[in-house]
Formats: sequence, structure tokens, C-alpha cells
Amino acid sequence: MKTEHLIDMLARGVEPAERPRWAARVGVTLLVGLVVAVALVAISLGVRPDIGVARMPVMMKAMFAAAAAAVMLPLAIQLMKPGRPLGWRLGAVGVFVAIAVIATMTALMGEDAARRMEAWTGGGFPWCLVLVPILAAPTAALLTWTMRAFAPTQLTMTGAAIGGLSGGIGAMAYSMYCPIDSVAFVTTWYVLAIAICAVLGAALGARVLRW
Amino acid sequence: MADEAHLRALLLKGLAGEEAAHRAFLTEAAALLRGFFRNRLRGRAEDAEDLVQETLVALHTRRDSYDPNYPLTAWVFAIARYRLIDFLRRAKHRNHASLDGGMDIGEIDPDYAASDAKRDLNTLLARLPDKQQAAIRLVKLEEKSVKEAAEETGFSESDIKISIHRGMKTLMRLIGEASPT
Repeated sequence: MKTEHLIDMLARGVEPAERPRWAARVGVTLLVGLVVAVALVAISLGVRPDIGVARMPVMMKAMFAAAAAAVMLPLAIQLMKPGRPLGWRLGAVGVFVAIAVIATMTALMGEDAARRMEAWTGGGFPWCLVLVPILAAPTAALLTWTMRAFAPTQLTMTGAAIGGLSGGIGAMAYSMYCPIDSVAFVTTWYVLAIAICAVLGAALGARVLRW
Repeated sequence: MADEAHLRALLLKGLAGEEAAHRAFLTEAAALLRGFFRNRLRGRAEDAEDLVQETLVALHTRRDSYDPNYPLTAWVFAIARYRLIDFLRRAKHRNHASLDGGMDIGEIDPDYAASDAKRDLNTLLARLPDKQQAAIRLVKLEEKSVKEAAEETGFSESDIKISIHRGMKTLMRLIGEASPT
């Protein structure tokens, strides 16, 4: 086929392009993802029984997870369209991680030496490392689908951004179940759980985001 | 070499539905892309032309992904680079699949038209439903009006338009996917 013929075919009778409403689409996608994740927590894990008295720490944890998602959002959006530099959006993620590290150290220094280890590890295996990625999966799948309707060209980076963003959403839902309220626990393991989501996203990105 | 502001103006007019501007944009973009791909696939002019076509299709079908706040050429080359990486990945898979793994395409015939790619439009068209095929052939290839095509086939005008729309969508997908070997 001659390229001139192709150009002719593409151009003939071209109509005004639709303006895709990307902000609305991403917003709806994230909202649906969050609702699904919360429903999953309610059905399978169960909301923590003391949610009535623990409203404050649950709120704080959910806000921290929401902040993580909010930091990933500009990066993910920037990657939806080709040829746009990432600039400060990558830096913002770094700043967030740095703040989390500082918060962890500050909180641990405020603890008694005897209780420090428990405040950090929560006194057992940090299950959020497994459960947050599972809760993030529906959001990640929906976001992947939304994203493919646009034109991401850096698939590994886009995958990581989708993973991190979904991880933040998953962690928001997880905070309703999570029984551990120690600051250092949250700033360490929630961040790591979200990072795992980002790594999984980066690994899968090139395969699932192709268009 | 076409300049940024000129190409950008053409694309924006094309986005507003101006056919001539859109055609001019695609033609100038094709020249830019040809240089880009030939530099990177030396001695494989046909593969380069395949990629020019794939990228043109991507520029066309995803034209709403251009953000006017950023340079147009950055957008064009981001998509070109993406298509190139995708092509190289596919080529690697093909080599793994074949036993000899040979990619030798022999001497390039100097008379072979420079802008001809290996994929054949008729083969791709043949994979569409008859109605869509007929609509695209008449309107897009034989340059008939929608009205004439409707009279010739006996379908209604809106039927023809919908068939073209659906058929072109599938065709674009096939051009993007088909490994032209």
C-alpha cells in the first residue's frame, strides 16, 4: 500500500475531533475503584470492630493513603498523552517518600526503646504488603482500560504510575480494616505496599498498556 | 523540514474538521517520520515505510491526544518512538518463532517505489464485513460521495456513513496490529 493512499483515506471526509473528557473519566474510574475496594474490605476482611472509637486513626490512615494517591495522580495524568515532560511530577513522588521516611524516624524516636520495634513492625507480619496490592487490583484494571483509550507511550513508567495510584486507593480501603494505628507502621508499610503496586505496574505495563 | 508552528497550525485546523489541513498535516508528518525511521532502520526501507504508515494511523486515530500546551513535534516523535519500540519487540518475537531466525530480506530492488509498504490494503480490506468493505471502497478509494455510494449499494446514506466509520476503525486497528511479513 502506498503511503499517499493511506493519507488520502485517513483525510477524506475527516470530521472535527471529539474532545475527550479525560478528567471526568479518570475521576469516575478512581471513584469506582475505591468503591469496589471498600466493598471488598467489607465483604472479605470485615471493617475493624472498634471503628466507632477508632474513627480518628482510621481517618488519618485513609488521608495518608489518599495523599499518596494524590501525589501519583499528576504523574499518571501527564503520561496519558504523548510528548509531555514529567518534570516536577516525578519529584513530587520523591518528596512524598522523603516525608514518609522522616515521619517514620521522628515517630520511632519518640517511642520508648522497648516498644520501638513493635511500633515499627506492628508486632507481626505486615499484611498490608499483600492485601493492599490485592485491593488495588480492581482500580488498576479499570485505570489500565481508561488509559488505553488515550495514548501512553512510556508504558513502563505509565504502569508504575497506575500501580502507585491504585495502591493509594487500595490503601485507603485497607485502612478501614487495618488494626494497627502506629504512625511509624503506616508511614513504612503503607508506603512499601504502594511501592510494590508500582513495581508490579511497571513490570506489567509494557504488556497490558499496548495500543 | 517542516517547522513546528506550521505543522501545529495544520493539526489544529484538522482537529476542527478541515480536511485539506489534515491531509497537509499527514503528508508533512509522513516526510518527517520517513526520515526518522530510515535513520533508525538503515537498509530496511520497507520496514521503515510500514512504520511510517502505522505511525500515521496512530497520529490520526489518537489525534485528540495532542496537548496544545506542549510542542507538536514532541508529540509526533513520542508516538513514532513508541511505534518503533513496538515494532522491534514484535520483530524479536518473530525471530524467536522461526527456526532459522533469518531476517535477510535480500537486495532491495532500487525500482521499488519508495513509499510502498509491504502490507496490502486489499488483504486488510478483505477482512472486513462486505458492507463495510463496499462503503470504504466506494467512498474512500473510488472518491465517490456518500450519496452516490448509497445509490449504488442500495443502503441508506446514514448506513454508509456508519459502515465507513466502523470499517475504518477496524482497519486502523488491523494496520496497527498486523505484522506485515
